[in-house]
Formats: sequence, structure tokens, C-alpha cells
Amino acid sequence: MTTAAELRSRATLWPKGNYFEDFAVGKVFEHHWGRTLTESDNIQFSALTLNYHPAYFNVPYARALGHPGAVANPMLVFLVVFGLSVEDLSEIGGAFLGVRALTFHRPVAVGETLTARSTVTAVRESDSRPREGIVTWHTEGFDEHGELLIDFLRTNLISKRPNGDLA
Amino acid sequence: MTLDSLTGSNNYFEDFTVGDVYRHARGKTVTEMDNVLITNLVMNTAQGHFNEDSMARTEFGQRITFGGITAAMVIGLASQDTGENAIAELGLDGITFRSPVFHGDTLYAFTEVRAKENGDRPDGGIVEFAHWGVNQRDEVVFEGVRRVLVRRRGAAERR
Repeated sequence: MTTAAELRSRATLWPKGNYFEDFAVGKVFEHHWGRTLTESDNIQFSALTLNYHPAYFNVPYARALGHPGAVANPMLVFLVVFGLSVEDLSEIGGAFLGVRALTFHRPVAVGETLTARSTVTAVRESDSRPREGIVTWHTEGFDEHGELLIDFLRTNLISKRPNGDLA
Repeated sequence: MTLDSLTGSNNYFEDFTVGDVYRHARGKTVTEMDNVLITNLVMNTAQGHFNEDSMARTEFGQRITFGGITAAMVIGLASQDTGENAIAELGLDGITFRSPVFHGDTLYAFTEVRAKENGDRPDGGIVEFAHWGVNQRDEVVFEGVRRVLVRRRGAAERR
């Protein structure tokens, strides 16, 4: 019988994420996967966050406002683009400090597919937390044709590489 | 179906006055279901939001709600009053998180009307709102500014 202790002794961690030292101003990350926004995503997200604009969950209403169909909740668009960026930018840990200058460039329709890209815009030390640094990225979300749908600046604390843990 | 019968009649562009502050009627307790479901749904891979075992060994002792969900929940709590008659959500700014939100914490929302502009459309105008999220201990956990293009009263009938 294989034991967990045995597995731990034989296994090598397949690591995820980047440390503070991995970020330099101007470095670009093309994020993984992409994500098609479905009707289920949109209704579930809007209902759970109590976001009550009928265009997110009433198709004739959205059409009457001039949209082709249900409009994707902009906060869902924001969170999916953010989510796609996490492994590259912040999965390693550190507090999410804030977001500035977020623009929704146009309404997004349910059924559109999002992809995300980020560029490092600032890297600095933290005075209060020496084992972490502060990183800011410009994150952009695109549709399947490469049209810009959303962009924002995000700032996080990011863990430094543990001593002796070399890339 | 007439458009105007489906949404409120007191939240058009004309109804917002700069300086008004609103306390929104509903609060929401952020549950494990909300945080884990939405974190995973939006492909946020940071396990601090969904691995209780790993978080039990940190200074927090438990999973932390993804800040994006806190933001979406506070804006959601304010949405019926300040966005139900929106033509479009334009953007956000100054989003900050002052303290972590845990499963079981309850969020309430407050809004101030910061500015109004006519914009370039006859059927709507731009309103800038400041939103705050407050927990059950009256601590401000979230703040941010949101710009919305809001329909003018009667614009729907004139379409």
C-alpha cells in the first residue's frame, strides 16, 4: 500500500506562480486559458452579488436597450479578466491592495470570449513588510478579435522568494 | 412589456444630487458558497480563497474572501438604487480594501453622489458615485469610485 509519507518523499512540487523577484517594469504576461462567458455564469454571478440590472438576466429587456442579447455583468468581466491573471501575477500570495483607472470600454455580450494580458508598471519595496514587495500591473482584457474590453491598474503585495529557494 | 415598468422610478439621472449619501437597504452575509463559488467560477487560482487546510496554518487561520467579490458584492448591494437604470457602466477607480473579509462576515453598502456630467448623449448623463462597504462591526472594509451612464427620465418612451 502506498502511503502519503512515501508519496511526499518521492514527489517534486510542480510549482505555480511568480515571486516578487520575477517582476520587472515592462515585463508582459500573456495569461492562460481565456474564458467564454456563458448565460449561466452571468445569471449566477449577478444573482449572487445582488446586481439587479435587468439587461444581465432579461433578454428582451437587453434587446430593447439596443443590445444583441443579455449583457455580461461588467463586474463579472472584471473578475474573469482578473482571475485569468492570478497565476502569473499574484497566486504566490500577498494582500490585494487595490485597483485604479478601470475602464469598461464597451458592453460585453454573453457568449463573448475573454483573454487577458498584463504589463508590470511598478515594482517597489514595502517599508512595513520586508518579506514582501509591492507590484503594480496594467491588466487588459480582450475579446476573441483582440478588441480591448476592459483595462485597469492592480497593485498587490507579493511574497519574495524564500531564502535558498532558487528559481 | 414597457421598459420603465421593470425598473424603479426614482433612480434616473435627474434623481441624483451631488452630495447625497445613501444607506442601501439590504446587507449580505458572505458565505463560503459565495466566496468559493465565485472565486472558482472566475478562474481565480489563488488557493487562499479556497484551501481551508493551507490557510489554517497562516496568520489568518481561515480562507479569505477574494477582494474582487467584496467589491462586486458592495457594488451589487448598491446596484438597484444606483445602476438599475444605467445605460452603461463606465469604470471604477480608487478601489481599496481596508481589512480582510471572512466567511460569515456581513456587508452593508453606502453611497455618495460625487459628481454629475451631461456627457454626450441626449438620453443619459454620467454620475460618479463613491461606494463604501461596511461589515457587521461597522468597520469600512471596501471603498471605491464608480462612473455610470444613467438614463434620463422618459428617455425610454422617446426611443
